[in-house]
Amino acid sequence: MMTGLIKIELYKIFKKWRTYIGFIAIGLLVAIIQTAMVFEGQKSLDFMTRNLQDSFLFVGNLLNGFFISYLILNMLAVHIPFLITLVAGDLLAGESTAGTYRILLTRPVSRMQVLTSKFIAGNIYTFSLILWLAIVSLGIGAILFGFGELIVIKSSTVIIFDRNDVLWRFLLAYGFAALGMSVVCSLAFFFSSLVENAIGPIVATMAVIIVFVIVSAINIEIFSSIKPYLFTNYILSWRLIFSDPINTSKLLNAVLILLGHIVLLYGVTAFIFKRKDILS
Amino acid sequence: MQMKTMSKLKFVFLFLMFFITVNEFSPQSTDPDEILEGVKEAFTKIEDYEVDIRVIIDVDFLKVPDSEAKLYFKQPNKIHVESEKFALLPRQGLDFSPLGLLSGKYTALYEQEDTIRNIPTSVVKIIPLGNDGDIILSTFWVDQSRNLIIRVESTKKPTGTFTIDFTYEKYDDYYELPSKMEFTFTVDRMMFPRGMDGQADDEDSNYKSDSKTGKVYITYTNYEVNQGLPDELFETENHESK
Repeated sequence: MMTGLIKIELYKIFKKWRTYIGFIAIGLLVAIIQTAMVFEGQKSLDFMTRNLQDSFLFVGNLLNGFFISYLILNMLAVHIPFLITLVAGDLLAGESTAGTYRILLTRPVSRMQVLTSKFIAGNIYTFSLILWLAIVSLGIGAILFGFGELIVIKSSTVIIFDRNDVLWRFLLAYGFAALGMSVVCSLAFFFSSLVENAIGPIVATMAVIIVFVIVSAINIEIFSSIKPYLFTNYILSWRLIFSDPINTSKLLNAVLILLGHIVLLYGVTAFIFKRKDILS
Repeated sequence: MQMKTMSKLKFVFLFLMFFITVNEFSPQSTDPDEILEGVKEAFTKIEDYEVDIRVIIDVDFLKVPDSEAKLYFKQPNKIHVESEKFALLPRQGLDFSPLGLLSGKYTALYEQEDTIRNIPTSVVKIIPLGNDGDIILSTFWVDQSRNLIIRVESTKKPTGTFTIDFTYEKYDDYYELPSKMEFTFTVDRMMFPRGMDGQADDEDSNYKSDSKTGKVYITYTNYEVNQGLPDELFETENHESK
């Protein structure tokens, strides 16, 4: 029963053209960045490492598919949430806008089954968007630059990972990124249950993310104390995977916090949706 | 009377023998230019070489896997490096060529005798002339008995002070070439590369010190000396071998 419902929800998601905006945007963004890197990448890399190059001779190619995929993944927090809210914000509110809520709920399935199937379908879309990002980033990167050692420049360490030690880190990082984006999906889904128009959840979710990101970025004591409670603070914790050694307890903590957000948002949405007076 | 003359002659003979012996077993010159010329001249019998190098980097802020590469050198100062993987190599002293270390015009001053790892050495200070180079001051510890540089300490702008220690072995029973090199340098906090994400990482927030000392260990093996390396090899950029 659930599988059938999820299939129906996925059909509804992928029937709408707005669903493909995310895939097209990511495809274009990655292609533009990779093309720019063909012409300017070496200059950027030299600029970043020029102090090191004063003392060291670099033999080999650090401008490779792994390096560019890492740069692109860093842009995740800013750009991809918007693409997710376009679909997730419409999951429940869209039914209301189209006037199909009542028809949907008169079918012999419970409200919880409808809600869960929509939630799962929304997350499948989110995961497929991250999977698409991984495929185009690593795929185009491999074609244009090949693979090699990955240089990661942090605030006080420079790590160069052996090429055989990178792919598993990327797989974990994309998995973690999908989890972070799933929180965004859950938040948009929650807002979607409150209103009857998809614009509201999209704007509200983006507003929350922008406010949280800005608060996280400002180094003022009062903000520092609330920082641990903002989910946006953990979305980029996939960067921990590109450390040596990996701080597993911190990473696990971030995973649990993000999972907690997903469960909480789903729970609150279910609570609201079960008691919702469906008028359209 | 004859006995007295004999005794005097004996004394003069012994004095001369002592003088000759002392000079024979202590050929230490105190002329800095002579010392450095000896080093340069000894190195000229090596026209070219290729050698396998293994590089271990021990720097607090820099985590790099150990790398292996092949280094090609040709007089006077051509070098080419090939590596199967990415390799990070110190710019200074990699080819251990005295011509490279003593390039440009300079004033040399003999300072003192010193012992490095039980090797008696002569310490020579080099003050570069003109404003073209980056080196402000260099000190060389030279083993005059073998005409080899045992240690170099240089202050370079803007990277600071670095020290290179060489350990030599004899190859083909003729050439004395380094088997190990230890490169020690200071890294200023201000010179640290800017993060690619532009954000501070909490995990690295324990980094407090303003300056750090780093070490690079290079092991040289499988020398092939004077094989007649072609000039074209040095026209290509250092690269990864496929």
